[in-house]
Formats: sequence, C-alpha cells, structure tokens
Amino acid sequence: MTDSSPEELAAANPAAQDEKTVVPLKIEDWLTVIVMALLALITFANVLVRYFTSQSFAWTEEISVFLMIVLALVAGSAAVARNRNIRIEYFAENGSPARQRALARFGALMVFVLFVLMAILSSRMVYDDIRYGETSPGIGVPAWWYSIWLPIMSVAIAGRALGLYIRRGRRA
Amino acid sequence: MIVSFLFLAFIVMMLIGVPIGVAMGLAGSAAIALANADTQWFGLMAVPQNFFAGLGKYPLLAIPMFVLVGSIFERSGVALRLVNFAGAIVGRGPGMLPLVAIAVAMFLGGISGSGPATAAAVGGVMIAAMARAGYPAAFSASVVGAAASIDILIPPSIAFIVYSVMVPGASVPAMFAAGMVPGIMVGLALMVPTVWLARRHGMGKHEQELGRPPFWTSLREASWALAAPVLILGGMRAGWFTPTEAAVVAVFYGLFIGMVIYRTIKVRDLFVILRESGELSAIILVVVALAGIFAYSLSTLSVIDPIARAIVHSGLGEFGVLALLMLLLIFVGMFLDGVSIFLIFIPLLLPVAKFFQWDLVWFGVLLTLTVAMGQFTPPIAVNLMVSCRIAGVRMEETVRWVLWLLAALMCVTLLVIVFPELALWLPRRLGY
Repeated sequence: MTDSSPEELAAANPAAQDEKTVVPLKIEDWLTVIVMALLALITFANVLVRYFTSQSFAWTEEISVFLMIVLALVAGSAAVARNRNIRIEYFAENGSPARQRALARFGALMVFVLFVLMAILSSRMVYDDIRYGETSPGIGVPAWWYSIWLPIMSVAIAGRALGLYIRRGRRA
Repeated sequence: MIVSFLFLAFIVMMLIGVPIGVAMGLAGSAAIALANADTQWFGLMAVPQNFFAGLGKYPLLAIPMFVLVGSIFERSGVALRLVNFAGAIVGRGPGMLPLVAIAVAMFLGGISGSGPATAAAVGGVMIAAMARAGYPAAFSASVVGAAASIDILIPPSIAFIVYSVMVPGASVPAMFAAGMVPGIMVGLALMVPTVWLARRHGMGKHEQELGRPPFWTSLREASWALAAPVLILGGMRAGWFTPTEAAVVAVFYGLFIGMVIYRTIKVRDLFVILRESGELSAIILVVVALAGIFAYSLSTLSVIDPIARAIVHSGLGEFGVLALLMLLLIFVGMFLDGVSIFLIFIPLLLPVAKFFQWDLVWFGVLLTLTVAMGQFTPPIAVNLMVSCRIAGVRMEETVRWVLWLLAALMCVTLLVIVFPELALWLPRRLGY
C-alpha cells in the first residue's frame, strides 16, 4: 500500500503492476483508449474542417462534451479499482498496518456508498428524461441517450469500489 | 447546525484518506438532504444534475487534451534535445546543469499542462546527468521538483483552465497570458539560488568533463521541440485555435515528432499513452464533477455569504486578509493538488475577492503562485515526490535546498502582490 498521488504514479511509474481483479480492467482500459482517441480525432477534425471550409460543426461540441463525461466515468472506474483517486495520504498511510488497512477500507466503502446513491438518483433522472421526452439542447436527440450512462457507470464504479474494499480486507 | 455538519464531515473524511471528490460528493449530498428534509426525494435529484452540470462544460475539454500533450511530450525525447541545446548555449561550469534543468522545465511548461509530467520528463534526463557531474542527488531532486512547479504558471496550465471555468470574467486566454510574466520570473528567480548554492558548496566539479554539445547540431535537433510552444501559444494568440484546439494540434504535432522525427514513440506505446492520460484526466474530471455537488450544497444553504462577510469584516484590512489567505493556501497546498484546492476554496474566496475589488485575473495568478509553492513544500509535495523517486532520495533530505528555492518563489509572489501589473500587463496588451 504505497499508493502515492495519482499524477505522480502516472508520471513516474507507468508500468505499475495492477492487482488482480475479478472483472478484467481491460474493459475500462480499452474504452478509455477509444474515447480518448475519439476526443482527439473529433476536435482535430473540427480544426481542419474550419480551416479549410471556414465552417464549424457546432454539433461536435455536444458530442465531445458527452464523450468527456463518458471518459470521466469509464476511466474513473479504472482509477477506483487501481485506488488512484486524489486523496490526502498523509494520515492514511502512517500508523500501524491495521489502521492503514481500516482507513483504506473505509475510503473504498465511501466511494461505494456515493456511487450507489448516484446510481439510484440518476436512474430516476433518466426516467424523468424519458417520461417528459426531454431533448438535448444542441442536436435535439433524446436526453436519455446521454443521461443513461450515469446510472450504468455508477453501478460499475460502485462495483469497483466494492472490489477494492474486499481486496483491502483480504490482504494481511 | 447543518453547515457545521457539512464542514465537519467533509474535513474528517478528507483527513482520513477518503478520495477528495467522494468526500465532497457525500458531504454535499448529506447537506442537501438535511436542508430539504420535507421535499420529495429530499431534494437529492440535484445530485446527479449537478454532477452532469459540473462536467458538461466545453472549456473543460482542454484538460484531457493537455494531459495527453504532456504524456506524449514526456515520451517524445524532446527533453533530451532541449537539454543538449541549452547546454550548448550556457556551456559547462559549476551550476550550469541545474540552470539548464530549470530552463528546460520552463520550456516544457509551455507545452504540457501538468507539473508531475514535466518533473518526470526533466528528471528522467537531468537527474542522472547531474549525478555524474557531481551534484548531490537531493539537490538535483529539489531543483527539478521546484522547476516543474512553474508549469502551472506558464501557459498552458490545467489549474488556470479550472480557475477560469469557475470564475466568470477570467477567460482561459486571459489567464494564460497573465501567468506568462510571473512564470518566467519564477524561473529566473529559481536560477539565482540554484547557481549560488552550487558554487558555494562546490558542486558539479565534474561538469567540465561532460563536454559541450556542438551548437548547430543541437539547435537543429531541438528545433522541432522549440517550435512547439510557438505553435501552441502563437496559434492561440493569432486566433487560429481555442485552447482546446491548440491542445489537440499539439497532440498531433507531438505524435509527429515522437513517431516520425525522433522515433521514440512506437505504435504500441499509443495504448499506454492514451490509457494513462485518460485515467489521469478522469481523476481530475471526477473531482471537478463531484465538486459541483459540494458547491451547489454551499449555495443552497447560503453559507458562503456569512463566511465571506465574516472574513471581510474581520478587521484585518485588505492586505491582512490577503496574507492570511495565502498562508492558508500554502498550508493546504502541502497536502492537496492545485485543482482540488481551487475547487474547494474558490467558491468561498470569490465573494471576498469581489468585496475588495481585486482583479480576478490577478487573484487567480496569486492563488496559482501559492499553490505552486505548496507543490514542492515537504512533506507532501506532488512534484518533489516525482523527482525524489527518480533521484532515489527521501524527501527529508531535500529540505535544506528546497527552502532556498521556496524563498525565491516567495519573492516573486510578493512582487506580484505589490505590482499587479506584472500579471495584468500582458493580457491587457493582447486585448483579452
């Protein structure tokens, strides 16, 4: 449990070994790679198109923002599994191993609680979006096409947090 | 009652290591529920709505793109070429290698938006070379860690993007322009104690033996890297791109350099680069989204105004308040990264800044300077942690060197407070 700040790990130690998880992290990793690549390509295409035709696709903005939200949730799920979220490590990583483990479990449990809550509340939000036939402001597609991902990914993140909680309990 | 509950729960959770964003989300949700106990669903529908609203802002898209730029340039071999070129200019002598490290970190700051990425890129090249030249590892780690902190001041900077999303009236280009002069000043200010310390303690005795790189060859090799900030900052200035677009142009430019010119990035590496930068961006973005819930709960409970009023009428006066705020932020900066600090404190500080009629662009630069200080103040310093790991030293060993560098940064901060024009001249000149 020498997890340091996420930025530091990302920068200094890209090959850090992942712990074993029941559901492979490859799922999130591939989605992350695809969404990042899409974001870069869409934005770049936008620059090129505007440069050559002096028009811009306003609608790409809505899609890009949506993809960014997906990125935050999908890669955020992997970050929860890898326990790399931004936190104050000073107190959590000092003291006896038992205390460290207890605090790590408590942290994972809190992530779980928040995202279970988020899953319930956002399901209700999606239900409202469908019931009232809300449409998105830019393109005019049904709003639930976008909002449906929040409950789905919240469940995934809660699952990752639960996994972390169990793994932290197991390790002596 | 509810208010004290909100803050207490938040602070306790944060201290015992619950992820910052989660602490904000939970405390915010609890406060919303307590305040709306008699409404349907306890008013909690605001939680997912604010999560979406907190994230759904186009300027935030610049964050994943600039993180990606940092990750690409870190691997592209640009740092090495820049180091050679800078070495060819200043030559070899006591204190020259650390000087080069600072200069290159400043330059990379003009390409990437994240301090730890710069610390890794510069540290990876410089720390071993400095060890061979006879600099103590702790000294090298201090210099690189401090130099990488300039990154959040020199545009493009992720901290500035977050600040301008939160503060209406401080646009991203204005913030970028405002950070330029103070950022360069910090770089120069860091060079003074660095060279002086190196001379005084007789470091770098073997530097002469390294040989001076040939000027024209190293200029040619570095020219691709030298063009990058021109493209990014110049393109924004010329109105070719928005900050997000500038970032994405830099992404493809960096890939071109790395894959075609220097051949340091293979197709296989793209997966790692995209995954790492995607995850790092998500870590930042999730905090941004969950901070939206926290900010909403603060505004519905209307706690900001009373606190701001209490601060304003504390009898300390304008500069007393400012000094106190900065001390607080330096302290917090030792524990937390810049983006989280902005998300937590700006809702509280904005009314105070407005009361004293501080210029919000200037205020943002000041906050960023203080946060930069925190990023290499032991015991918990994001950038210093990276450079210490590369140098293989414990952070405690760096204290005797880092204090000098902190003093240099402190001097620049005081200058920016006394002469606000240092930050404000360039954005006005450029017409932002």
